Amino acid sequence: MSEAGANHKFAFYLGCIAPNRYPGVESASIKAMKKLGVELVPLKGASCCPAPGAFGSIDLNVFYAMAARNLVLAEQMKMDIALVCNGCYKSIWEVNHKLKHNKDLRDAVNEVLKEVDMEYKGTINVYHTAELLYNDKFIGVDKIRDSVTNPLTGARIAVHYGCHLVKPHKDREFEKEVMLNTECPTWMEELVAALGATPVEYRNKMQCCGAGGGVRGYDIVHALDITNEKLINLKEEKVDALTDICPFCQLQFDRGQIEIQEKFGVTYNLPVLHFAELLGLAQGMSPQDLGLDLHGISCEPFLQKVL
Amino acid sequence: MAEKKKATTKKTPSKKEDSKKVAPVKQEVKKQVPAATPKAAPAKPAAAPAAVSSTTQQGDARIGVFICHCGTNIAGSMDIDAVQESSKSIPHVAYVDNYKYMCSMPGQTVIHKAIKDHKLTGVVVAACTPRLHEPTFRAATKDGGLNPFRFEMANIRDQNSWVHMHDRVGSTDKAIDAIKIAVAKAALLQDLYPKSVPVEKAAMVVGAGVAGMQASLDLAAAGIKTYLIEADTSIGGRMSQLDKTFPTLDCSQCILTPKMVDVGRDENIELYTYSEVHEVEGYIGNFDVTIRKKARGVMTPKEAEAKGIVGGGCNGCGDCETACPVVKPNMFEVGMKPRKAIYINHPQVVPLIYTIDFDSCVKCGICVTACGPEKRAIDLESKDEFIKVKVGTVILATGYDIFPIEKKEEWGYKRFENVITSLEFERLICASGPTGGHLVRPSDGQTPKRVAFVLCAGSRDNTGTGKPYCSRFCCMYSLKHAHQIIEKIPGCVPYLFYMDIRSFGKMYEEFYYRIQDEGAKFIRGRVANIMEDKATKNLHVMTDDTLLDRPIDMEVDMVVLASAVQPSADTNRTRKLFGVSCSMDGWLLEAHPKLNPCGTTTAGVFLAGVCQGPKDIPDTVASAEGAASAASIPIHKGEVELEPYFASCIEEKCAGCGMCVNLCPYSALSLVEKDGRTVMQVTEAKCKGCGTCGGFCPGGAIWMNHFTTPQIVAQIDAFLLGGEQ
Ligand SMILES: Cc1cc2nc3c(=O)[nH]c(=O)nc-3n(C[C@H](O)[C@H](O)[C@H](O)COP(=O)(O)OP(=O)(O)OC[C@H]3O[C@@H](n4cnc5c(N)ncnc54)[C@H](O)[C@@H]3O)c2cc1C
Ligand SMILES: Cc1cc2nc3c(=O)[nH]c(=O)nc-3n(C[C@H](O)[C@H](O)[C@H](O)COP(=O)(O)OP(=O)(O)OC[C@H]3O[C@@H](n4cnc5c(N)ncnc54)[C@H](O)[C@@H]3O)c2cc1C
Ligand code: SF4
Ligand code: SF4
Ligand code: SF4
Ligand code: SF4
Repeated sequence: MSEAGANHKFAFYLGCIAPNRYPGVESASIKAMKKLGVELVPLKGASCCPAPGAFGSIDLNVFYAMAARNLVLAEQMKMDIALVCNGCYKSIWEVNHKLKHNKDLRDAVNEVLKEVDMEYKGTINVYHTAELLYNDKFIGVDKIRDSVTNPLTGARIAVHYGCHLVKPHKDREFEKEVMLNTECPTWMEELVAALGATPVEYRNKMQCCGAGGGVRGYDIVHALDITNEKLINLKEEKVDALTDICPFCQLQFDRGQIEIQEKFGVTYNLPVLHFAELLGLAQGMSPQDLGLDLHGISCEPFLQKVL
Repeated sequence: MAEKKKATTKKTPSKKEDSKKVAPVKQEVKKQVPAATPKAAPAKPAAAPAAVSSTTQQGDARIGVFICHCGTNIAGSMDIDAVQESSKSIPHVAYVDNYKYMCSMPGQTVIHKAIKDHKLTGVVVAACTPRLHEPTFRAATKDGGLNPFRFEMANIRDQNSWVHMHDRVGSTDKAIDAIKIAVAKAALLQDLYPKSVPVEKAAMVVGAGVAGMQASLDLAAAGIKTYLIEADTSIGGRMSQLDKTFPTLDCSQCILTPKMVDVGRDENIELYTYSEVHEVEGYIGNFDVTIRKKARGVMTPKEAEAKGIVGGGCNGCGDCETACPVVKPNMFEVGMKPRKAIYINHPQVVPLIYTIDFDSCVKCGICVTACGPEKRAIDLESKDEFIKVKVGTVILATGYDIFPIEKKEEWGYKRFENVITSLEFERLICASGPTGGHLVRPSDGQTPKRVAFVLCAGSRDNTGTGKPYCSRFCCMYSLKHAHQIIEKIPGCVPYLFYMDIRSFGKMYEEFYYRIQDEGAKFIRGRVANIMEDKATKNLHVMTDDTLLDRPIDMEVDMVVLASAVQPSADTNRTRKLFGVSCSMDGWLLEAHPKLNPCGTTTAGVFLAGVCQGPKDIPDTVASAEGAASAASIPIHKGEVELEPYFASCIEEKCAGCGMCVNLCPYSALSLVEKDGRTVMQVTEAKCKGCGTCGGFCPGGAIWMNHFTTPQIVAQIDAFLLGGEQ
């Protein structure tokens, strides 16, 4: 089952937002992870995860079946899944867990999958790349530090963990056995420090980005209000950049700043980078390779500091 | 089921062969029984011949079968008439009857009347479980003039009608099978006589909180010598850490200290502090307990005298403490006050004898000098001592610990200085505590003006981190805390964040109203998160006000977490020594939650106080008095009857290999020389009848009373082959 993991070869599930909005997350993940001995093999034919808020709150049957289909694709490759997005993690990890432990649900889902000649077997595991990076079993902080050629020295970087990777922690081995603290975790800060940057704590760090759970789609002003509060707290700490491990959170902080400017008239100009992008930079990838010019908020001030 | 049916119908052809195979075994055993029985020496010798002759029951066995409806519990799920009809044709059955409630007085009368009228030799009741009503029906069997062990139960309720509620045919068939099996055994039952053993006129109480102290005082007052074992250096338990007590608000120390003094003074109580139960052997009436008295480094006047130091020993002057250079946190003050390596918990301790914490002591010897040449109380080389005592009954009163609430990370205990636990609050508000009774913020020593109380902190928690149960006294003590700050700090407002206020006791709801009237604020909502303002160290309490339906972010100066409680650390080891079970949450398991809350399933071992489950002081004391009363009954009776289910050795067959001796978990077996041969011998009082040895013996030399090989073989036959015709 986790043998695929032991081989350090994973089926790479991209999701929707990363390839469409932040393609650098994809290239950085593949290249940086390769340097760390982990091969990410594209999971061909994958669909939307599907988004936990949008689908999970409306039709659970569709939610289970779509996620199960993605899982089956990886099962056919005989590889565990690695992914780069908290939302995808929530959907795919959780459906995998549920299907493994609930026979009735598994039978019902397989009934649907039959129509496309598929069967969910429960033979693989699902990991977030951040988990692979932090967990010594796969990579670990030391290996990351050793891989750095362009340390991000002097940069003050705050971390946004995002909700769906951390909670609910009840059944998740990574959260319970590796992260340990899910209310005020600091393992991402360790990763940031490994790149040579200075991790910065800020008020209400674990607050939601504002986008998740369908809030961004349903009530954008409300969503931005939450984002704005986080940005206020970040500004207080004078950080050079915010890093995240979820393209959706990234979208909310990055594009969200432009929307906040339009709607509330407040400007922050805080660069927001996925940790994969940061890691790529620290391993010597160029900002162009990472597609940083595609970000809504310019990364220039931050890049000037670290390059 | 279908398969089994086939087996039953097929039985006739194969039957003869099988009965041939089985019959000789039965005969052989029958022959042996007279030989074996004298060794199983019944307590009443006069009865022995009867027991022997009665073993020849099977041939002329006349069994009565009594089927219970249990209202509709059984009758609602099976066809009682069909069960009755089928039972009539079971071999040896001489009489069948059914009744609505077999355990009622009229039901029991049906049984003993039938025994006499139909000259029955054995009784089968098809009803609930032996656990519930075996004693009832044994008594009814006895009333009918038979030996009470001529009774066998068929469980057709708990393991049948209740589980197969909607399968009438299946449960009817299963009931018939169960009765066949029970009749097969009943036809081979022998008269047995319980053995009486004398009960040691002494008791042991483990844990000297208010529960253990009360139980000991009651036992002592009933004239019973009581060994009270306390792990800590002084007695009193958690109650001695409390300031005031709800709902009457009397000072905890004021009501507890007299009891502590009484315990220390009572001639019938032998107090062992800084001690634990090391080893337990034996059974009700005769527990041999080894107490480990931990090296204390300081001698009592008595101990000093025994060493020839007349007029010496610790008098509690504290000169050693003043001199000792090693400083450690005082855990009685929840670490908020320092103590030395040589210490007492607080000034009112009983016994007033200092203790050296040898994990911190650097053996500099300064205290020895400070203590002086007269007292010479300190012995830096003292060692653990092991003391053996014999007691008739035991009460466990090991109390509770506070759940490590830092595990609920969202509330920031140990991360934010001004988040404290309720137990810390008790010490801070207590005049004898580390701040002389002034509630102050740990961060800056300032008096708080807004204090939030988080109730159900770690209790009623199904996230897997906390405890699923209600800790039962935190609502009430938080109300008390609210009152205390209103009374002590003018203008200070307590905010209680709660799920429900459970004020269920006598005068408790009235207390709740009183605190409301005094101005405490109540917010119904489980606290989601607490955040610290880095600059002021004030705290933001975030929740959803579920009555006003709106989110709350309240800034306060201090937060008090009403932490859940859990069984004390050493409870698990201690309970195992006494063979006591615990429930899933770790609290010790009572024999019956309603009708025997102080008893356990180990005869002679009882429970008092919070170790059985969270209780406030009134309930703790009530349970302690209940346990003391229950524990004194066998002692006052002077003897207890042991179930006569012990193993016995069929000496002609015993090869003296001794393998069973090592197998017995209760050390009931030994090898002895008899007529020039080595044979096994059973100490009947120690044997629990578990059958380990009987099942193992390669030569079949062990006879398990009431669970004999012929009985069990007959039961299996009855099920698989329909039994003999
Ligand atoms: C903050 C707080 C406030 C409270 N306020 C009130 C109040 O106002 N009114 C009220 O009615 N109740 C109150 N209570 C509840 C009260 O504390 C308990 O009801 C009471 O202490 C229970 O007594 P106990 O003897 O069962 O247990 P404990 O007090 O826990 O005593 C157990 C004793 O056994 C000892 N022990 C433990 N394990 C072993 C072992 N293996 N071997 C030997 N000894 C052992 C311990 O050292 C301890 O001395 C409060 C509780 C808390 C936490
Ligand atoms: C609707 C209802 C449901 C309940 N369900 C549960 C439950 O599911 N679980 C549970 O644990 N508890 C339950 N209870 C509580 C339970 O009934 C009591 O805990 C229990 O009955 C108390 O027993 P008692 O002996 O103290 O009092 P009682 O049962 O009231 O017995 C007192 C006896 O004393 C007699 N008596 C009264 N005065 C005198 C006198 N002056 N002289 C002589 N005799 C006298 C009375 O006739 C009576 O027989 C329930 C209570 C109610 C009302
Ligand atoms: S004997 Fe058992 S089954 Fe019958 S009425 Fe009593 S409790 Fe119910
Ligand atoms: S010998 Fe131990 S207890 Fe005595 S003074 Fe020195 S450190 Fe303290
Ligand atoms: S007593 Fe009150 S505060 Fe304590 S767990 Fe029960 S309901 Fe919660
Ligand atoms: S039946 Fe069990 S307790 Fe009795 S002697 Fe055999 S092994 Fe020991």
